[in-house]
Amino acid sequence: MTQITAESQRKFLFPIIALLIGFPLLRHYGGIFATGTPFTALDSAFLIPIVPILIFPVIAILGQWYAGEEWWRERFKEGGMIALGALAITLSLTVWLAIEFFTKGGTCSDEVILAKEACEAGGAEWIPALFAGFGNWFSFDVIRMQDGGSWALESDAFGIGMWIDNVSLTLLFVAAFLCFLICWFSLGYMNTDPINKDRNHRFYAEFVLFSAGMLGMVLADSFLWLFIFWEIMGLCSYLLIGFYYERPSAAYAAKKAFLTTRVGDVFLLIGLLMLYDIYGSLDFAVVFDDPSTGVGGAIVSAGAVKGAMLMLFIGAVGKSAQFPLHVWLPDAMEGPTPVSALIHAATMVNAGLYLVARMVPFFDVGHGGVEGIGDIGILIAWIGGITAFMAALIAFVQNDIKKVLAYSTMSQLAYIFTGLGVSLWLFNNGHHHAGALAFGAAMFHLFNHAMAKGMLFMASGSVIHEMHHAHHEAHDGDSEDHDDFDAQDMRNMGGLASKLPITSTAMAIGCASIIGLPLIGGFWSKEGIIAETWAATALHGETWLLFPAFLILLTAGMTGFYMTRMWMMTFAGKPKTEYAANAHEQTPWIPTPLVTLSTISLVGGITLAWLGATHWLGDGEALGHAIHADGYAASLLNTISHAFLPDDFFILLVTWTAIAISLVVGPAAAMKIHGGRLAKGESAPRLIAWILPLSTKFGKADVTELAESGFADALHRRLFFDEWYDALVAKTMIPISAAMAWFDKRVIDGAIKGIEWGSIRLSMNLRKVTTGSASDYILMAVVGGISILILLWGVI
Amino acid sequence: MIPAMYLAGLGAILFCLGLVGVFTNKNGIIVLMCVEIMLNAVNLNFIAGALHYGDVTGWVFATIAIAIAAAEVAVGLAIFLALFGERKTIVLDEIMRLKH
Repeated sequence: MTQITAESQRKFLFPIIALLIGFPLLRHYGGIFATGTPFTALDSAFLIPIVPILIFPVIAILGQWYAGEEWWRERFKEGGMIALGALAITLSLTVWLAIEFFTKGGTCSDEVILAKEACEAGGAEWIPALFAGFGNWFSFDVIRMQDGGSWALESDAFGIGMWIDNVSLTLLFVAAFLCFLICWFSLGYMNTDPINKDRNHRFYAEFVLFSAGMLGMVLADSFLWLFIFWEIMGLCSYLLIGFYYERPSAAYAAKKAFLTTRVGDVFLLIGLLMLYDIYGSLDFAVVFDDPSTGVGGAIVSAGAVKGAMLMLFIGAVGKSAQFPLHVWLPDAMEGPTPVSALIHAATMVNAGLYLVARMVPFFDVGHGGVEGIGDIGILIAWIGGITAFMAALIAFVQNDIKKVLAYSTMSQLAYIFTGLGVSLWLFNNGHHHAGALAFGAAMFHLFNHAMAKGMLFMASGSVIHEMHHAHHEAHDGDSEDHDDFDAQDMRNMGGLASKLPITSTAMAIGCASIIGLPLIGGFWSKEGIIAETWAATALHGETWLLFPAFLILLTAGMTGFYMTRMWMMTFAGKPKTEYAANAHEQTPWIPTPLVTLSTISLVGGITLAWLGATHWLGDGEALGHAIHADGYAASLLNTISHAFLPDDFFILLVTWTAIAISLVVGPAAAMKIHGGRLAKGESAPRLIAWILPLSTKFGKADVTELAESGFADALHRRLFFDEWYDALVAKTMIPISAAMAWFDKRVIDGAIKGIEWGSIRLSMNLRKVTTGSASDYILMAVVGGISILILLWGVI
Repeated sequence: MIPAMYLAGLGAILFCLGLVGVFTNKNGIIVLMCVEIMLNAVNLNFIAGALHYGDVTGWVFATIAIAIAAAEVAVGLAIFLALFGERKTIVLDEIMRLKH
């Protein structure tokens, strides 16, 4: 293995930056040569998923040809540079699109026919900032049964196009930005690990295909294309989680993730068929135009839509790892760390949320939604509340640093689901304004969570990488030495704050954002979700929402506990192993994404809140609307005072309860158990140095007894979900499969074998006729000829 | 004038005799002779038809058939000669090459 120096990183920066800036310019002015007018970002948006899809086979094939060659490893980073270039193009196009969106968006554009129709038809009302829905580039015809049983050809039934509005643009940016940074990170993480040597091209090829899946899904303008890209992601998650397929646990985890999400996908497909049956199309423009009238102008029945929504939601549950289909996500940590960051921050788990967010038009009764389907919103909120609480509970006892983050992801996604569920209920019961706020808060939380969690996973990757490296060095590079050392186990860490200054600072900021410390990142959105859920319960009187509201409030405190616990176990106190004492930050490519995302987590939340991201996402009110109206200082003050001192007294109470338990109770409890100063002579980076002395102020609690209790054991075993599923499978699937196998073996195979045996016997008997005697043959010919004659005679 | 029906009836009887001869005889030469009887039965039928309709085509056919039958007999006998040279027999039941 060749050591990559910091200089070699700088060498690569120039082409990447040139591509980031140059590609949109090239595309823009290239249009003059091609068509006479410059291409706009909208014209180029289709390249966002296309470029990674085209790059995928390039990396895979070149990797197969040149794996092991020096220049391929050094110059191209085993395909990593090609992947980074492709992702740089998608990121630059996304940013260009966003700029155009904010300068031109919100109007019914003439250049895009479909968008104009949707816009003028009022479809734009509930997705207020609808920017563009492309027409179809190519389409398929279908034959559909008409009323009365005749069949008719419908042209242009399924076509591929694009749908760009504030929600899809947000997810597009999250996906493109994080994919780019995670790919950057991978250049340091994957290429310096000897275990990956000469097979990284597989990783990068699948990585870009995964990004293409997410980018395409977000841009899709019909449920059909959404589903297709959704499945591309499912495939890539299988491939990437099973990257180390030689390890049985990784192969098992890959299978588990694939099959569990498959359960949801089947329901999603059923839901799509139901939607097609109701509306006669799967295009957003057609379906969202007026969800209360179905195909041929018929009034749709609430029951049918409710069923379709339920099926769609089950699909989202599988993809976003919510109770009861959450079991795959913790096991998915078997993949390399960048994959965890990719799946759990940038792409896959957000797909389910996006699908639920796309369900809003069906619920918005003020704008053509179907009345009386609000129960689905309550169900979503319940599932969210239960998952948030359960995942946080299990995260309490995890010792694997990535597993803590995995459960944290589940828990935070559940917050977003709760917010979306509440918003759907509010929309369906005529509280449009409150619903839009809840929706905006949920989407805003998605953004904050994605940024923080992507960074946390990369930071954990940095910790694991350096621990692994220290272990490797301690054994003098002898990679054959397989002792039980687990570089991911937090019980082997401790005191890393001084050894890994950038990582520890980044992780502290990420934890703060996830916990929702006031003013940082997730605070702005999480408070919004909690407040809106309680508002729906208390102000709008839906008692069924009390349970999820209570659970997510409690979970806020639990989040404070498990995130602080993770940080303290990893970075505070004295090193628990010699390897932790010798670890230090040395790998290039890793710090850059950490610093970038730390900055976004730290200031992005407040900036976006100040710009009014919640209202923009929910209502389509222009970003910076408040600043424009009130001026900078006044609107900032307004934002902050609104967050801390809501008008309604009840919401004020809820807000301060949430702040108190997430800021004080949870972290203090964690510090009491795991806090501690660093070893003598070590000093933490200044930004976080104050935490360590603070962590000792709460005294020291011994929790051995609690940690060995039956409850902790149950949590360690993930509340027995795997056992339950195994038992369920043993009780239901295996007997059914056995019966099927018997049927297959005896009846189907029996019939086939019977035919085979029968023809053999028949042939044996027929063979006796073949005597070989010429006169016998003549006799047969004559008998045959006479028979034919008789037959002909009979007919004539 | 003999009625054409009698000629046709004689032809049919000769044909059946030839057919039975083909089935029952094991000697190749006799089988060949029986085939000749069947051929001539057919010729007789042609002539019966020609007489009945007053058409010359039947005569022509019969003449051609006789010429071809002569050639056919030559070929058939040649085959039997060759077969006898190889197998030392022309008894059909002993020459079951078609089976194997």
